[in-house]
Amino acid sequence: MRTIHQLFGKSPFEPLVAHTEKVAEAADLVRPLFDSYVVGDFKRCNEIYGEISQVEHDADTIKEDIRDHLPRYLFLPVDRGDIILYVRQQDHIADAAEDVAMLITLRDMETPEPFRTLLLKLVDEVVTAADLLLVAGKEMAALLESSFGGPEVDKVRGLVKEVANQESQADETQHKTAKALLSPDCELDPVSISLWMHAIQVLGNLANAAENTGDVLRTMMARR
Amino acid sequence: MSPTTIVLILGIIAAFYMAWNIGANDVANAMGTSVGSGALTLAGAVVIAGIFEFAGATLVGSHVTETIRKGILEVSLFQPDSPLLGEDGPTILMLGMVAALLAAGVWLQIATSFGLPVSTTHSIVGAVIGFALVAVGKSAISWGTVGTIAASWVISPILGGLLAASMFIFVTRFVLRADRPIEATMRIGPHLIALVFFILVLSFIYKALKNVVAEPTWWFVLLTATATAAVGWVLGRAWLRSSRPGDPDNPFDYVERVFAKLQIVTAAFVAFAHGANDVANAVAPAAAVVQVARYGTLPDQLPVPFWILVLGGVGIVIGLATWGYKVIATVGRKITELTPSRGFSAEFGAATTVLIASRLGMPVSTTHTLVGAVIGVGLARGLAALDLRVVGKIVNSWLVTLPVGAALSAFFFLILRAIFL
Repeated sequence: MRTIHQLFGKSPFEPLVAHTEKVAEAADLVRPLFDSYVVGDFKRCNEIYGEISQVEHDADTIKEDIRDHLPRYLFLPVDRGDIILYVRQQDHIADAAEDVAMLITLRDMETPEPFRTLLLKLVDEVVTAADLLLVAGKEMAALLESSFGGPEVDKVRGLVKEVANQESQADETQHKTAKALLSPDCELDPVSISLWMHAIQVLGNLANAAENTGDVLRTMMARR
Repeated sequence: MSPTTIVLILGIIAAFYMAWNIGANDVANAMGTSVGSGALTLAGAVVIAGIFEFAGATLVGSHVTETIRKGILEVSLFQPDSPLLGEDGPTILMLGMVAALLAAGVWLQIATSFGLPVSTTHSIVGAVIGFALVAVGKSAISWGTVGTIAASWVISPILGGLLAASMFIFVTRFVLRADRPIEATMRIGPHLIALVFFILVLSFIYKALKNVVAEPTWWFVLLTATATAAVGWVLGRAWLRSSRPGDPDNPFDYVERVFAKLQIVTAAFVAFAHGANDVANAVAPAAAVVQVARYGTLPDQLPVPFWILVLGGVGIVIGLATWGYKVIATVGRKITELTPSRGFSAEFGAATTVLIASRLGMPVSTTHTLVGAVIGVGLARGLAALDLRVVGKIVNSWLVTLPVGAALSAFFFLILRAIFL
């Protein structure tokens, strides 16, 4: 009688980590994107945009795969809804990375100072927030091993808190960047300003998505 | 050759076939996880399973054998002085027991080829009831005992689950969620080994000592079990001390490596309990056949002949060696999700439950108990994804196995009666 193996359903946690890794890839392309942009290497920017799109698409496929494999008869160590919410929020990070790449490659724009410095600072903070979250996400295997409790949880909680700090930092920088862009000294044309405003907004969304994903992670651990 | 001799030979062959089947198909659940996690090689698993199955069958196997041999039926109705069956009573019992063995064997063969999760225990109990209903009627069955057995089929997976969950929660609390899991493993490990040794030895020491000391007292039994546990503790500690601690940044690697070794102990424990409980499915009917052939009646006072338990044990070991190792390898490949810390907890819960049932003479399904134990670990949030549909499949297998086993057995009985009576 060979029943035992039928007890084990397809774990959603392995694809969850695979999704995290894909999203991390997308987030890590945002810095090089802006670095190339500010020096006027628009050709390189278009290439990076293509790469981000590809990675975002891969992440989407994994996301759908996770959703398709969460039937109700599976008993999971965390709430089923939390897993779905988690991938959705995490996916928003990749979406935002793709959106911002799409926006800035619409038009070859100037980045006059002090706007440029602030913009790069904003990019740095936003990407750091995402990176921290993704480090936390990759702890999933260890969380699973300790069944979402113990010191492992403290570690992840610490990371999630840092994500939140980084996000509020980014909020502040976002405000300053927008102000610099809209100041009367800024010599950009109105269309560029409008497009940049939009791009800054999307960068903010990226950090928000990271924070929201962190919140879901926290809920997962709190329901223990 | 007299008809009795033919029936006797038929009975022994059928019993041996059943034992072979148990060794070939059922042992895998006990050893598969250890092979899957790499704690044991396939050859090592076969050797350990062989030794412990045999030991369980011969040292503790008699309790459940008694129940199936004469607890399910109103044996007095089959005695030569029975008003219902008259002088044919003992022969009818003998033919019926052979029919039951044939029925259970055939049904298991069919079920295995369809991949149904069917229990050997349920098949044989259903089969014994089936022939008795046809041969005599409702009055031939001790419904009280049957009721208790049915209750034990519900209770054993639940108890297995509770014990496994408790063990897993203990392991989580004191090892996996400890501040320093590596040190915690070194500290807790020996206690866990001692605990398993204690339960294991306690289950058979009374019987074993009886051959040496006339009437071993309870404190002597307890003392022996404690002493064995202490030896396990010391050995376990020495071994853990000498083990290579892993990377402190990734403590769970080390923890799981240690649990993989601990799991060898629980796998042996499961094999022992399985032998103790399941050997009866093969040899209990044969024991009745042999005794009727020899004495012309089923002696109430005589114990199950020891050589019959040995025969069952040998059959299981041969089944393991000729076919079971393949099934172990297959199961091992499929259940890598059950990491050692989880496997240890599940096996502990299942083996303890089955051993308790064996001592009480309750024929339970080892696999169903193990399934209950794994579910227990899952509900304690130890598994990534627990497929609860299995519960439905098990309930179905029950509902099918009892009537089918009974009907097949009645069918074989009618044929045998037509030939021999």
